[in-house]
Amino acid sequence: MAEKTGEQTGGFAAMVAKKQGWKVNPEADFTSMLVEGLTVNWNRYGYYLCPCRDSEGSREADADLVCPCKYSWEDIAEYGHCYCALYLSPGFAESGRSPSGIPDRRFRKA
Amino acid sequence: MLETLGYTTVEGSRKDHEITVYALSTCGFCKRALAFLDSNGFAYRYIYMDRIPLETKTEVKKILKDRYKEDVAFPFAVIDGQDHLVGFIEPDWKKTLGLAGS
Repeated sequence: MAEKTGEQTGGFAAMVAKKQGWKVNPEADFTSMLVEGLTVNWNRYGYYLCPCRDSEGSREADADLVCPCKYSWEDIAEYGHCYCALYLSPGFAESGRSPSGIPDRRFRKA
Repeated sequence: MLETLGYTTVEGSRKDHEITVYALSTCGFCKRALAFLDSNGFAYRYIYMDRIPLETKTEVKKILKDRYKEDVAFPFAVIDGQDHLVGFIEPDWKKTLGLAGS
């Protein structure tokens, strides 16, 4: 599988945000780290594993953690940003607040 | 087993806590957590879990989960071998590390 560059990954994130009506985190340094992390994960695993989640060892096991992760929609609705904070709700982005760590919904008991 | 891992040690003037951080090299909040420790002068050690073999990593996560009764998300910090912090929420880190109010 062809390796990705940071520029390509940045384009992917922008495309996802546009499609979903989200905003890419405007904190340039932080977002740059996340885009770099996503790029590393693509080139390491072959898919865009969330940069703040650890691989369980296979694409099947990580399926819910591939960006945009399965939990993004609920996290953005509840916290204003996704788990890794690459994507923000428009309202959160306009507020100028900086995202903080949130609980991993993957571990949330039903 | 945890003591045999290849931690990176960071020197600091604040040595009042023994801090170990399990982190991911790709994670923004992990980087923020380490930067927080740096900027507050803490001595600590850390390991990037995404850079160790899968079998070792799986074993480490199992040990941490059994010991602290919590699912392992990153950053995962162990303080003085007793307290732990999951994720980087700065007020929580300040409180646990005795920086509350600063």
